[in-house]
Amino acid sequence: MKKRLLPVAVLVTAAFGLTACAGGSTGGDDSGDVSAKGETLDVWIMEGTNPDSDAFFDEVGDAFTKETGAKLNVEFVQWADAHDRFVTSIAGGTTPDVAETGTTWTAEFADAGALAPIGDYVDDENLGDDLVEGLVTSGTYDDELYGMPWYAGVRSLVYRSDIFEELGLAAPTSWDEIVSAGEAIKAAHPEMMAFAVPGDAEFGVYPWVWGAGGEVATKDGDEWASGLDSSESQEGIQFYTDLALKHGFSSAGATTWKETDVLDNFAQGNVAMALMGSWTPAAIVEKNAELEGKFAATPIPGKDGGIAPSVLGGSHLSMFNTAENPDLAWEFIKLMTTGDFAAQWGEQSGYFPGQQSLLTETMSSDDPLVAPFATQLVDGGGTVPVTPKFGAVQAKKTTNTAIQAILSGQKTVEQATSDAAAEMNEIMNGN
Amino acid sequence: MQRRSPLTRLRPWLLLGPALAVLAVLLLWPLVRVFLFSLQDYGLREIVSGEPNWIGLANYGEIFTDPTLWTVVLPNTVGFAVLAVACTVALGTGVAVLMASLGPLWRTVVGSAIMIAWAMPAVTGTYVWIWIFDADRGIFNETLQALGLQDEPVNWFTNRYTFYAIVLLNVVHHGFPFVAITILAGLLGVPKEMLEAAEMDGAGAWRRFWRIIVPNLKQVFAVVIILSTIWDFKVFAQVYLMPGGSGSNREALNLGVWSYVESFGQNRYGFGSAIAVLLTLVLLGITVVYVRTMLKEDEL
Repeated sequence: MKKRLLPVAVLVTAAFGLTACAGGSTGGDDSGDVSAKGETLDVWIMEGTNPDSDAFFDEVGDAFTKETGAKLNVEFVQWADAHDRFVTSIAGGTTPDVAETGTTWTAEFADAGALAPIGDYVDDENLGDDLVEGLVTSGTYDDELYGMPWYAGVRSLVYRSDIFEELGLAAPTSWDEIVSAGEAIKAAHPEMMAFAVPGDAEFGVYPWVWGAGGEVATKDGDEWASGLDSSESQEGIQFYTDLALKHGFSSAGATTWKETDVLDNFAQGNVAMALMGSWTPAAIVEKNAELEGKFAATPIPGKDGGIAPSVLGGSHLSMFNTAENPDLAWEFIKLMTTGDFAAQWGEQSGYFPGQQSLLTETMSSDDPLVAPFATQLVDGGGTVPVTPKFGAVQAKKTTNTAIQAILSGQKTVEQATSDAAAEMNEIMNGN
Repeated sequence: MQRRSPLTRLRPWLLLGPALAVLAVLLLWPLVRVFLFSLQDYGLREIVSGEPNWIGLANYGEIFTDPTLWTVVLPNTVGFAVLAVACTVALGTGVAVLMASLGPLWRTVVGSAIMIAWAMPAVTGTYVWIWIFDADRGIFNETLQALGLQDEPVNWFTNRYTFYAIVLLNVVHHGFPFVAITILAGLLGVPKEMLEAAEMDGAGAWRRFWRIIVPNLKQVFAVVIILSTIWDFKVFAQVYLMPGGSGSNREALNLGVWSYVESFGQNRYGFGSAIAVLLTLVLLGITVVYVRTMLKEDEL
């Protein structure tokens, strides 16, 4: 019921918002560097990324006030309703000054004209060369930077090190080694899934496409062309789905699994290998303390070795064009995304900082659940096509549909990939 | 007809005025806006700029020419609604008749038991059914395998018909208590003398039910059927939350999920509004037909 009311609510708010848009935004141009006494900066941050975010933002707030004289007002937003809240507040002209935006949303909001470009600020501070590239790519729209890289996460191959040790296996470095490790696990532990192949998780698919030399989509002039139906991509998807269909490493249930189901089942000890995010180890141990120290990560192997790229997820800090004092908003963004607070946020949340120099520091860690992810992030970080239209492809679950259809036997790899490529082309080149 | 003064004629409108004004603001105005949006290509960009973007009836054209609508969405929605309403009303009536024949103690016990099914939030209920039919660890598959009826686990969510069979169980389980309680209230209002007289005349239980109870409860049935039809037509959460139900299994799309995925998932608010307008018209049509048949039969 709630979901059906939502569209109406959006439209109603839109209706009122349109009439209210005319007012507001009077230029308070006292471009004094950072003295903004008496002002308040409104910020939206996603809830749950950092378990101790209240204390963190108390500290940030104090530092911010000390530096600028302005007060910081942080509001925590649930990931699940965040997109709808952004849309309704954009409609009503009540967006915050600065907000955390998921990497796939930044281009979308920028395209709508809701964000303010921040490229000039970054250039003024000479920060441009020290930002994690994948996050810059996803934060850039029409050659302008709209999303300031804040933190990043990446998916790698997570495996049960206790079982690998028991069977004398080494972390796989090529596709063949994944299969031989899987066969060994299947023989010794038939009650476990050797490799989980979830049918409703698109980010588990692209590494195999890229690892085989294929592309998700490429832009040629103004036209997007999906590469999912190329022979390389098909080979990758064939390998991935064969792990379930030919080798029997997965299960019937996994055909309709989402990433959260993979996490739950890994935590319950049902899964030996799976692609999982750098933010999941903490959650796994929290769900099942017995697994502590019994699993490790390794970069996703390419077909014949090397690292297969994996989608780099995470968040930007974006400035909305309703920000009353852009300079003040930028001060906050800079405070959060560089230096001490950025490093501290990464430590507390289990994500990687968006500043290259900080990231390099984390890479030297010898934690088996940190270093491999960091390597994946730096040497094998991929980005989904940067166009607001890709959000529509994701909403329509084009890739998920293809994988699920293959896993459930509705379509062959050729049929499913060519259908998916056609649908992607239609959406991404649509008006 | 005697002539009435203008004031007398105006009085009902004056009395209705405030309520009508509130309704117009709260209901009519949004409806009008939704209709206006449905004639536009309205996305995030238009929300930000505030500029209208008229495209005439193109949204409606796109809806009617989409093959998914005709081959998957409508058959699923209508077929499911018909089955779900029939099952809900049949089961609800059965339980109501059962409860009417029980003593006060057992009536309270049965009543509270079915109230629990009703009180359970749709989301919670859906997850329970998902667990029951889970391919790898669900009790349903384990039982079938233990009985030797099935060698390997089967994922019941990937097939269109088994998918909707599970949705049907879920929706009927969640929906029948309302029907049962409403009809029970009506049943208790049926004059005892009438039933006794029929029994004396030799009418069996089956006949008494169809000849006396059903005609007496016509209005109650009308309300229950109309409400169930509207609810079962719009079913969303119970499909969206099922494995594969949020769009990755295209065979399982129904009107609610399809419109969400196609419009709001993709920020196409104009397209979504067009679907909402059509859905309103369809449900309005169904309601009008029901109400008219009921009224007509009453007049006879």
